[in-house]
Amino acid sequence: MELDLAQFLTSNFQQFWEFTGFHNVTYEHLIMICVGLFFMYLAIKRDFEPMLLVPIGFGILVGNIPFQMGNEIGIYEEGSVLNILYSGVRAGWYPPLIFLGIGAMTDFSSLLANPKLMLVGAAAQFGIFGAYMVALWLGFMPDQAAAIAIIGGADGPTAIFLSSKLAPNLMGAIAVSAYSYMALVPVIQPPIMRLFTTKKERLIRMKPARAVSQNEKILFPIFGLLLTCFFVPSGLPLLGMLFFGNLLRESGVTTRLAKTASNALTDIVTMLLGLTVGASTQASEFLTKETILIFALGFMAFVIASASGVLFVKFFNLFLGKDKKINPLIGNAGVSAVPMSARISNNMGLKYDPSNYLLMHAMGPNVAGVIGSAVAAGVLLGFLG
Amino acid sequence: MLLCFTVSATSFAQGRRGLRINEVMVKNDSNYIDDYGLKHGWIELYNSTYNHMEISTVFLTNDSTNPTKYPVPRGDVNTDIPARQHVVFFADNEPNKGTFHISFSLTPGQDNWIGLYDTDGKTLLDCVLVPASLGDNQTYALKEDGVSSPDGKFDPKYWEVRDGSDEKYITPSSNNIIIDTNENIEKFRTHDSSGIVMTIVAMLIVFAALILLSLCFYLFGYLNSRAARRKKAIAHHGDDVDYEVTLKTRHDSGEEIAAIAMALYEHIKTHDIEETILTINKVKRTYSPWSSKIYTLRETPQRR
Repeated sequence: MELDLAQFLTSNFQQFWEFTGFHNVTYEHLIMICVGLFFMYLAIKRDFEPMLLVPIGFGILVGNIPFQMGNEIGIYEEGSVLNILYSGVRAGWYPPLIFLGIGAMTDFSSLLANPKLMLVGAAAQFGIFGAYMVALWLGFMPDQAAAIAIIGGADGPTAIFLSSKLAPNLMGAIAVSAYSYMALVPVIQPPIMRLFTTKKERLIRMKPARAVSQNEKILFPIFGLLLTCFFVPSGLPLLGMLFFGNLLRESGVTTRLAKTASNALTDIVTMLLGLTVGASTQASEFLTKETILIFALGFMAFVIASASGVLFVKFFNLFLGKDKKINPLIGNAGVSAVPMSARISNNMGLKYDPSNYLLMHAMGPNVAGVIGSAVAAGVLLGFLG
Repeated sequence: MLLCFTVSATSFAQGRRGLRINEVMVKNDSNYIDDYGLKHGWIELYNSTYNHMEISTVFLTNDSTNPTKYPVPRGDVNTDIPARQHVVFFADNEPNKGTFHISFSLTPGQDNWIGLYDTDGKTLLDCVLVPASLGDNQTYALKEDGVSSPDGKFDPKYWEVRDGSDEKYITPSSNNIIIDTNENIEKFRTHDSSGIVMTIVAMLIVFAALILLSLCFYLFGYLNSRAARRKKAIAHHGDDVDYEVTLKTRHDSGEEIAAIAMALYEHIKTHDIEETILTINKVKRTYSPWSSKIYTLRETPQRR
């Protein structure tokens, strides 16, 4: 009888042991846990995009706790809580909600005051298509190449949206890559900006922007939606929500809605998006040769996008009068990554001329970049979806 | 009124216009077998919308004078067709066998008209006239799934006879055109392996969209500033003035604007309403009768 009890206890412990993470852990899990910890270190100690990297970093820990499949625990197990939360990423409805919030918190007046800056936002999208060509050359299928290349748009929600439609199997790596490089914008962009500009160009002073009327601000989301979505209807989920959020803000009669969209709603969706994207990077799915290539291509896309924005401004200056020149330091802001890249333009400008504030000028291409990357995503989805 | 409009728009959007007769077999000797292991003629319906569609209570008939001949029964989960998917009804005239066994059969060697009516029993959703020439084990099918005359009337140009050969395969409960690759991706893979065409076209589209938006807002900006100047000119000189001339001749100097701003400031500042600023200064005197211990202590008792 005693022997039976001992056997029973032993087998119970054995069963429990097999259930624990210690028994199921592999070196891949440990690598991913280290990556998650590194992300959290960057966010908390180095202040790199903490709103994104804390949820993603913690999500990586959540997604890489080893467990036995079949208990509705993991993010890829149907019916689990994480799986339900992940449906917003998989079906692509978190990104448009984030865009609603972005629209509700973005002031487009700097763009409206100087509409030619929209072209800088368009030029920076060359990063996407440069990376697309290289990805094809490396052997990716066109739909996978497009999903990877969208990292160059420097817009996390757009990257998640497009990859969930074109290459769902690569979405985790693409999302983490996009957000990582967005967090590293202060490290990546300044050397490129210095490389492609002369000291004289960095000192260019731009004329103060004109005042923009309320009517113009109200008309912008309406005409913005009509014009861009007639061109690229496949961008409707992102652009529709972006401009809707902006109309809530600018109409002046829906302040409560705009406040909710830009604060509570965005915060909730950002948390869920970050956590589930992080958790989707399970070691078995994430640690592959493709992931390394995706990170390399993403970096390249960022570099090309930043460089093409700066070079386009230089090219554009050839056609502008002496007093209407644009400082090429705002070219990098065309890659979206709102508002980090605009802040970098400002800081670089102040470094070379302590009284040359470029922030408001850089916000123009910056928000144009958001529109441009959503249009580019729509084009890719339209062609390859 | 707004509510009525919304409700009517929603009900229109949820209508069953997208339900199509997709493929029909009249004489079945060696083809699709029903749940009872028997072979009958069959009618395939196709949900051509991009949303699932519940088709219970629609009517199938082979008699235009009796449009409600076979009502698709309620309460069967299988009558909810997923987006771009099919269901097959067996034309065996044995409706007691189940939901998908209808109350009429098709007659080989003669034209068979089949109609599909909406729940009201009046609205014809789709119909087909299967020709008498259709052979045994052949089907009359839409060339492309769900694509037929938009008004629901029969038009033979959308239909073809399928004999089960490699080119004209018969596909009960499956797409008439079987898609095993993404055509778009294959096209780009074949004709644009380097991605240059995609890059050029996509960048042109991105630029075109943003240039158009930019031009639009240049125009708005111009019109807006023009309207503002016009208002200003009228405010200065009244309605009868030629404001174009006024605009060219009159400009407020910076000094004038500064003087006006200063005057306004002084005017607002010298009003007789109290400033709505409440300042609370800490009372420096520490003593107050309210906090005096003298008044809070009881009198010392005295022995008499």
